[in-house]
Amino acid sequence: MPVTSAENTFSAYRSSRFHFLERLKSGWLVYRENLLGRIGLVLLACFACMAAGSFIPPLIDPIYHPMSGVDPLISYSTGPSLRHWLGTDFIGRDIFSQLLTGARIAFIVGVSSAFMSIVVGTIVGMVAGYAGGTTDTILMRAADVVMVMPTLLVILILAALFGQLSIWIIVLLIALFRWPAVARVIRSQTLSLKRRPFVDAARVTGASCFRIIFRHIMPNVLPLALLYMTFRVTSAILIEAALAFLGFGDPGTVSWGMMLQWVWKTGHMFQAPYWLLPPGICISLITLSFYMVGRAMDEVLDPRLRKEKALE
Amino acid sequence: MINRQGEHHLPVPQWAVLGFCLLLAFTIASCRQFDASDYLRIGLIAEPKTLHVWLASDRNSRKILSLIYQPLYTRDPVTLEQVPWLAADKPVYDPENISYTIKLRPARWSDGSEVTSDDVAFTGQLIKSFKIPRRYSRWKFIKKIATPDKRTVVFYLKSPQAIFTTRTLTTPIVPRKQWQPIAEAARKKEKPLAALLNHPIYHPLGCGPFVLKEWRQGTYLHLRKNPYFFGSHTKIAGRVLGPYINDLLFKIYGTSDVAILALKKGTIDMFWWPLQPGYIKDLSKDPHIQLFINQKSALYFMGFNLRRPPFNDVKLRQALATIIDKKFITHRILQGQGVPMYSIVPAENRFWCCDTVARYGDGLSRENRIKKAYKILTGAGYTWDVPPVDSDGNVGPARGLRLPDGNLMDRFTILTPPADYDPLRAMSGMMIQQWFRAMGMPAYARPMAFGALLNKIKTEHDFDTFILGYGNLSLDPDYVRVFFYSKNDKPRGWNMSGYHNSDFDKIARASRSAMIPTERQKLIYRMQELVIAAVPYLPLYKPSVIEAVRNERFTGWVNMLEGIGNIWSFCEVKPVTAD
Repeated sequence: MPVTSAENTFSAYRSSRFHFLERLKSGWLVYRENLLGRIGLVLLACFACMAAGSFIPPLIDPIYHPMSGVDPLISYSTGPSLRHWLGTDFIGRDIFSQLLTGARIAFIVGVSSAFMSIVVGTIVGMVAGYAGGTTDTILMRAADVVMVMPTLLVILILAALFGQLSIWIIVLLIALFRWPAVARVIRSQTLSLKRRPFVDAARVTGASCFRIIFRHIMPNVLPLALLYMTFRVTSAILIEAALAFLGFGDPGTVSWGMMLQWVWKTGHMFQAPYWLLPPGICISLITLSFYMVGRAMDEVLDPRLRKEKALE
Repeated sequence: MINRQGEHHLPVPQWAVLGFCLLLAFTIASCRQFDASDYLRIGLIAEPKTLHVWLASDRNSRKILSLIYQPLYTRDPVTLEQVPWLAADKPVYDPENISYTIKLRPARWSDGSEVTSDDVAFTGQLIKSFKIPRRYSRWKFIKKIATPDKRTVVFYLKSPQAIFTTRTLTTPIVPRKQWQPIAEAARKKEKPLAALLNHPIYHPLGCGPFVLKEWRQGTYLHLRKNPYFFGSHTKIAGRVLGPYINDLLFKIYGTSDVAILALKKGTIDMFWWPLQPGYIKDLSKDPHIQLFINQKSALYFMGFNLRRPPFNDVKLRQALATIIDKKFITHRILQGQGVPMYSIVPAENRFWCCDTVARYGDGLSRENRIKKAYKILTGAGYTWDVPPVDSDGNVGPARGLRLPDGNLMDRFTILTPPADYDPLRAMSGMMIQQWFRAMGMPAYARPMAFGALLNKIKTEHDFDTFILGYGNLSLDPDYVRVFFYSKNDKPRGWNMSGYHNSDFDKIARASRSAMIPTERQKLIYRMQELVIAAVPYLPLYKPSVIEAVRNERFTGWVNMLEGIGNIWSFCEVKPVTAD
């Protein structure tokens, strides 16, 4: 019985899907062998739970609203208690609720700005690598220009000039300044890929540049881009925290950097460790967890980094 | 060692050793410890920007200059009444000629030359001829300054001016011998005022208790006792003045935290900057640290832009005033170190403060505030998609406030200084934003760099609402006129809200020339009532001044309005060992 073209397409789709699942499964097997990766994942899961749980306290009682909720009985900073597990800040707001909300903001800032920078960096890198010539030169020089700009300083200047920036503007600015490194790596990968036989095959069958880049090259550079995303998340969280700590964060958002700024500016730095330490520890741990995950993913993607198993 | 030419040279290692030794000696010499064991060491939050008395507008420059240049009159620290300082006695008013005669004390400049009436006249002429900013408005009504003898000066005014004694006579006096050459050179320039203000002043010549010894920018500023100070061993306002300390050393600390650590460690004896209330608990545990909490003559307020809708609607402004919980701000954000304000004049200024002005929402609970504001707004034609008060009278979160014309209220901003400049104002803006949002108003607090903030509000008039503050408010209430006088609604003018009221203007003009205090008081009261009814500014709070000193080396700080950093303190502080 002759095989129809629809059946052909379906079987190709199914085989590619299985191939993807196979790769994911084999990748996970390598990942789970990595202790750093496991610790990073557990930590990330904890922070994800915190972020998801940040909506709960205000539902229990409005006094747990991280920004405007104040305990009517407490009007100053107090230590941990049953009512306030991590204590209260200087106007009687619950520090634990703020910490949970801070986790949500860290994820929003980290993941969205990293995602944006990865999208921009991947597209620029692929186009530059595939097109070559003048396009490559222009895009890479643009990347060089952006790369040498000190991100934090430029955002600080912008904040000083245009007033306080909203959290989404901060996310956008971080993404705008963090794509060049990704673009450079993706470009070098694309340069290697575009000389492979499957790209030549696609070209001789009449595939357009757009199709070659996004259908044939992109799936091969995507794992690398995702790996870089984990590192971008770390830097985005740190930049946002630094901005907020220096007083240039979004004042309408309760982030960990903002919590640190409040404890500093209100004169509680040396007398309220229950207020100072949690956001500081959380910033350190979340960046560490993304770094650990990144390191483990590095091992998954690059077999040269894997440890050789002892022969039995 | 003999080289190719047969000349004898020291071996290279010996040169290197010699060079190294010289370098080491030079380094050690330049790094030697500055001996300041008997100095009064004061921490400043930032370096003074200038020692030019007419240019200085930052607080730290003014602090230093207040110890060098002196005015004719100052305020008694207890009664706050004006007392003769460089002047020998109270001014004598002649209503017929509209003139004031003032006698000077015997005084000398820090170089030993005599302070004369000619210096006073010169100061006035300098301010008038150059129209020196921030000073000119206090001198422009003076017709003539006569100097019948070297200790007598007579001011002839164009018309009676209530602010003459309180504002004009508190201007610092400068010596003709230092400033005349500068003024003459500046007059020849294309822009005389800019030339005058840009002239560098390295050694200010004053007649105050201290004189500049050395200023190492970025490191320290050293003032030494002026041996010619007119107040030394003299009784003024019942106090025998010193100064009893020979040297003041000002050290610069970038942040309060670092300065407080230095204070706790004993590196400085005083931190001349108001502390955040959060430091009180920690510092009060240290037996060597003494805290001073004083009132501040200040006005922290929320301003509305009356030039643009919807804030040109007085009902909306009154409703907003009702929503704001001032006691929440003073109790929680200021940690009890401040008081709510209801009028433009601080309540401590008892003679001038009108306590019968409207007190929007005072004493009401959060729910009742919302209900009252809801009533004001519905009465003025405002509606909601989801009202803050339902048909049963229950309060809940509102959504979609619509203006009387049916349009949704546009998002608006509450501009505040940034948290690193003033965390209390930034936090107040944040809480006010939340309260407005609870009424369905799309409010957004926007802390902004202070310079950019002032530019937007004062120069461009491009704002919806803002929170600002005036510290060091004069005890004379002329600022009520200045802040709301119609003619002052101009770029860089004082009337930032754009308040226009012909009745107010009329009363304001009368208040300026009212020479009988009780008559002027009635006018000032009426002005306050008009302003608070129209709410161009909503007074919010007045913070206290919290200061800290070490008490084991020096004593004798004088409490006063605005804190212990005043001229009386520096003339009375003594080493603890000396009785």
